[in-house]
Amino acid sequence: MAEKTTVDLGLIAPVLEEYKDTPGSLIAILQKTQATYGYLPEEAIYHIAEVTGTAPATIYGVATFYAQFRLEPVGKHLIMLCQGTACHVNGAELISAAITDELGIDDGETTEDGLFSMEHVACLGCCSLSPVMMINGKTYSTLTPDKCRKVLREIAKEEGGADA
Amino acid sequence: MKLVVGEGSCGLAAGAGAVYDRLAALLNESNPTGAVLDITGCNGMCFLEPIVDLYDDEGTLHRYVKVTEKDADDIYAAVSANDLSSLDRLGITPDDAHFLEAQTRVALRDCGIINPENIDDYIARDGYKAIEKILKTGMTQDDVIEQIDISGLRGRGGAGFSTAFKWRAAKNSEGDEKYLICNADEGDPGAFMDRAVIEGDPHNLIEGMLIGAYAIGASTAIVYVRAEYPLAIVRLEKAIKDATARGYLGDNILGSDFSCVLRIKAGAGAFVCGEETALIESLEGKRGMPRLKPPFPAQSGYWFKPSNINNVETYANVPWIINNGGAAFAAMGTEQSKGTKVFALSGKIKRGGLVEIPMGTTLRDVIFDIGGGIRNDKEFKAVQLGGPSGGCVPKEKLDTVIDYAELGKTGAIMGSGGMVVMDESTCMVSMAKFFLDFTAKESCGKCVHCRLGTKRMLEVLDRIVKGQGEEGDIEKLEELCYAIKDGALCGLGQTAPNPVLTTIRYFRDEFEAHIKEQRCPAGECRDLITYSINKDKCVGCSACARQCPANAITGELKSPFEIDADLCVKCGNCITACRFGAVEVH
Amino acid sequence: MSIKYTIDGIEVIAEPSDTILSSAVRAGVDIPTLCFDKRTAIYGACGICLVEVEGVPKLLRACSARPQEGYVVRTDTDRVVRARKTALELLLSDHTGDCRGPCKLNCPAMTDCQKYVQEIKNGEFKKAVETIYEAFPIPASIGRVCPHPCEDACRRQLVEEPISIAFLKAFAADKVLAEDPYVIPVEPDTGKKVAIIGGGPAGLTAAYFLRQWGHAVTIFDQQPKMGGMLRYGIPEYRLPKAVLDQEISIIEKAGVVLKNNVKLGKDIQFDDIRNEYDAVLLAIGAWTSVPMRVPGEDLDGVEGGIYFLEKLGLGEKPLLGKNVAVCGGGNTAMDCCRTAVRLGAENVYVVYRRTRNEMPAADIEIEEAEEEGVTFKFLTNPAEIYADENGHVAGMKLQIMELGEPDASGRRRPVPVEGAIEDIKVDNVLMAIGQVAKCDGVDGIELTKKGTIVADDMTFRTNIDNVFAAGDVTNRGAGIAIEAIGEAQKAALCINNYLAGDEVRYKKPYFVEDEKTEADFEDREKQQREKMPGLSPEERRDNFNPIYFGFTEEQAKNEASRCLDCGCHDYYDCRLIDYANRYDVEPEKFPGEVHARPIIKVADPISHNPDKCVLCGLCYRTCDQVVGQTFIGLYNRGFSTIVNPMVPADKAATFCATCLKCVEVCPTGAMKSEIPVVRRVER
Repeated sequence: MAEKTTVDLGLIAPVLEEYKDTPGSLIAILQKTQATYGYLPEEAIYHIAEVTGTAPATIYGVATFYAQFRLEPVGKHLIMLCQGTACHVNGAELISAAITDELGIDDGETTEDGLFSMEHVACLGCCSLSPVMMINGKTYSTLTPDKCRKVLREIAKEEGGADA
Repeated sequence: MKLVVGEGSCGLAAGAGAVYDRLAALLNESNPTGAVLDITGCNGMCFLEPIVDLYDDEGTLHRYVKVTEKDADDIYAAVSANDLSSLDRLGITPDDAHFLEAQTRVALRDCGIINPENIDDYIARDGYKAIEKILKTGMTQDDVIEQIDISGLRGRGGAGFSTAFKWRAAKNSEGDEKYLICNADEGDPGAFMDRAVIEGDPHNLIEGMLIGAYAIGASTAIVYVRAEYPLAIVRLEKAIKDATARGYLGDNILGSDFSCVLRIKAGAGAFVCGEETALIESLEGKRGMPRLKPPFPAQSGYWFKPSNINNVETYANVPWIINNGGAAFAAMGTEQSKGTKVFALSGKIKRGGLVEIPMGTTLRDVIFDIGGGIRNDKEFKAVQLGGPSGGCVPKEKLDTVIDYAELGKTGAIMGSGGMVVMDESTCMVSMAKFFLDFTAKESCGKCVHCRLGTKRMLEVLDRIVKGQGEEGDIEKLEELCYAIKDGALCGLGQTAPNPVLTTIRYFRDEFEAHIKEQRCPAGECRDLITYSINKDKCVGCSACARQCPANAITGELKSPFEIDADLCVKCGNCITACRFGAVEVH
Repeated sequence: MSIKYTIDGIEVIAEPSDTILSSAVRAGVDIPTLCFDKRTAIYGACGICLVEVEGVPKLLRACSARPQEGYVVRTDTDRVVRARKTALELLLSDHTGDCRGPCKLNCPAMTDCQKYVQEIKNGEFKKAVETIYEAFPIPASIGRVCPHPCEDACRRQLVEEPISIAFLKAFAADKVLAEDPYVIPVEPDTGKKVAIIGGGPAGLTAAYFLRQWGHAVTIFDQQPKMGGMLRYGIPEYRLPKAVLDQEISIIEKAGVVLKNNVKLGKDIQFDDIRNEYDAVLLAIGAWTSVPMRVPGEDLDGVEGGIYFLEKLGLGEKPLLGKNVAVCGGGNTAMDCCRTAVRLGAENVYVVYRRTRNEMPAADIEIEEAEEEGVTFKFLTNPAEIYADENGHVAGMKLQIMELGEPDASGRRRPVPVEGAIEDIKVDNVLMAIGQVAKCDGVDGIELTKKGTIVADDMTFRTNIDNVFAAGDVTNRGAGIAIEAIGEAQKAALCINNYLAGDEVRYKKPYFVEDEKTEADFEDREKQQREKMPGLSPEERRDNFNPIYFGFTEEQAKNEASRCLDCGCHDYYDCRLIDYANRYDVEPEKFPGEVHARPIIKVADPISHNPDKCVLCGLCYRTCDQVVGQTFIGLYNRGFSTIVNPMVPADKAATFCATCLKCVEVCPTGAMKSEIPVVRRVER
């Protein structure tokens, strides 16, 4: 599991400075906070509450409403598996099953070594190349379960090599 | 000579970036013919990506498709040698070229042609002429709205409300401050028209919004873009910067009294934010839960000020309408539905991508003429329009014309433009479940009918696809559908039953087969199918067995293999592994 | 400029700022809603206030829709009712809790056990008795004799033992009887007359209610005193008749006319009563022992157990020999055998064809009978009673039985062991295998094959227009006192409706009920049930003195403090259950995943039960918009949405003003305060 560490709240000071007096900026603040830490750490949320004078309930309300926000750290490789209609029609469910089988993780889970997380995401807009998944910004298209496994094994192999 | 690489999101997903980089590296090394390398947005031919357009010195276009990195070397070689004959193998076929030739492009008129990151490309194609015309010829707000009224433009986001009506309402609303908002939260799974416009022609959107802002009297315009579109955000940001630098945005635009700034707000992943009042809540940094209407945004919207909201495609039509006159737009289409409409054609279709056609075209023409029909020559079953708010149109209704009212009669809706084609292997019950799963997950949870109603419907559908359906389930689904339509608070909830109602309407027998016979006629529902190996086709190569994650396939080399149904997890690996089509599904 | 429109035909005047709801409220038209309170902004979540407007294709939310001139608004169309009903059914499909405690639900008279136990815990004894009187009038008597189905259902069993509910009732009733007896409030006279035939628990209960509602009530009874089976069927050591007398006198003081020694068909004629009174309730009980159908049951020395007890109740001293056999395994059998012991019999046998496990008598009765020296002959069945030379009983042959397959009741059926016979020498045989009604003098009343009165179980009406029947005499047969009381209570309601010319049918309200297991109470500390002090077997064997002394006040409070307080505190204020009953919901219609989430400690003294929450948002919106705190908010979305403060309990004080407004506005029992809060909504 990717570890939670104490977060350096100084990292989001510029963000808070920029937005703290602009009404309606909570989502932007949270997006930049997540971009900084990879997720929304509890300390950061209480810090934002204090600086912006927003109730923690409001911040958590927003953070848990939108699919983009995460309250837990994610794995090094975030597999975003498209759940669009075209992907569904072309077998996204089989791809999901293949990932689960290969890595032992379901939607929203992270592998124990912290290497992979899987998230089912809304349509990535590559419908004509379906089914697709995106790993750390790179899109893999016209997947088959087999092709998907190969991609994952390749990444794992590279990671293994880097560790050794 | 000019080389243009299509760099929309799908092009990049298919490998256009590598092609571009390769060409750039080679040209950088040596460029004997002085060829220019450029990019463009998506031209809509997703099925052929990556695409390289080569304009020769006479300006003739040579289109090379499905270009690999290796092909890039050949293209470079041919360009350098000033002899394109060797590239014929990469050239687009006439059949495929028909995909584009059969279209009429208004909203997408620049997509795939100009470099979206270059404002001059846009200006060169009459860009910002429309706002210039308005400001320089002294067109009043009413004059502008009048032209939109004449054009008959209706909202392209799905509901199809009259654009002129909304603009007029916002214009007539009392208020010191007004907002013009663009809904680019294209959440419908299976639709990517808006992304293509922003990625391929961001200035067109900016100009359309400027005209709208002028018409209603807003000095702030906001684009709400979904977070899943990073490239669109980057290109739009650059376009805003360039347009501001050129005086098309900011104070006293083109020397007039009209001032307008344009901002981007990135969504954070919530389909319901496509609903205008939820979008406003989200813009204000809150949970995207819909507000009750009335009051409508035109009276009380963003920060409770009069606001107008349209989607990307709607605004993308506006500069064209002003340039060509409302009547020219109204000349296209049907009595009640004017102009063109963009669709994202995908699913089991031969040629998938973006299609813009005049209203009044039949579904058959779009799917079979432009789209080339069904992939692998299977049987057409249905086409899904409007995503989670829309419905499935069956074979018998293929001659329905694209028109708000005509499509509405089928139980589907025009929608924002998702058009997903299904063949005989698509289970319609599973399809209905897919959409309910989507709406249930995306329900904001505010109103009872949607929060619990879609959840309960999903549970019933889930039982049915697992073969645990009960007598009366269809009736229970229908009852819930009508109750949710009546009781849900916002458009998401009120339309959530549509995919279920249309599938029950046209494919009731499939529901019944699942419930009464525990059978999935399409062979898709995993709990209701078994895999087996056809002994006559199997050559005993063991490819399937090696791919089986459950070790369910056994056999001796060179003699037919067998699948143990108890162990089989129905993952489909064996089907893709088998080169002889020996794995069969029942 | 005001707008005129109609709701269900009622003309309503609205101002331009009005919604349909706000103008309807002013016009006195009730439109149900769970999420609207005018102190907060319109929200529109619940979908209960939907109305239909002629000519408008969509249903409108009354809380937000503006009326227009000439609108014809309907709140009662099929479409509106269906939409509201579906909203309620959907809410109930994911709403768990107990509207009422299992004790109350299992009480045939729906006595609010939880409430009076809690009141006893708080030392509010008078209130406790008032609570019991909401259900029936003779608590000190019933507290002593009731086999307490409430305790069978009590959840405290999942920790260790049930609460001693019946004895707590007797305790509170005794205390109040001694100090400041309850006075029945009586409504003004209605001018209607009701005759009740039979002054047992059913008759007394019906009389109590009907008198309370202002009717002139007369009870006729053939015995010298009122009380029926309580007086003539239950021995003094279990129910001192002085207690019963006191409780009956409370009813008499309320103005119920008691006429004893009046036998129907002899002293008065049924037809005369029927003509003289506006309504008649037959509650004559079941006073005849079921015959055993064995040779020798006509012999001298063989009699019905209930007849034996009745004689005793009338002050006779029945003569018994030294050896007595009692046949049967119910409470009457126990009363008989223990009475026989007290009358001096040396060997008392209970002949029962199954085993102790199957005995219908209360456990404590069996236990105490054993202590008093009664010999139980399980798995034996009377085969023959034989006589001595004088024709008097001399002994009894018993067929030895064994248990076979389960029968319809789920108990294993006793089957004879071929040729196994036991012989016991007895001087008397008391038959206590059941009782039936004997309906003499009720001419024209339709009877069942068993001779009981045919009465509808929801209206209690017989075949004769103004005649009702309740208790042991009806087709449902003989049961325990509290069952007769439960019937009488409902029958009284039906009679009251009948007298008012209304629909007479009783309808059982719908309640949300939870299911709990031992695991749910794992963290509870064990605290054993209080032991009732009383006479030792030696002290009680030769007399009819009451065997229990009753709880002390300390014991009672201790015992009451064990109560888990299962039923919802906000039952009477809960709009969800109110609407659910009003719209006649089918709560099981949409089964599916149901949440099971822990209670959230919001801030002392407030807690939140998400499983009762309907997400109307009033709590958090009030906190935000009325109080200006935003201490609580929504968390997650869709089906997983929950109301949550997201502030650790130790930091709560900095954010929460504990104004309790969130509790005040909650339409269900989801928001709870340890300090009592008056629920209040503003429309």
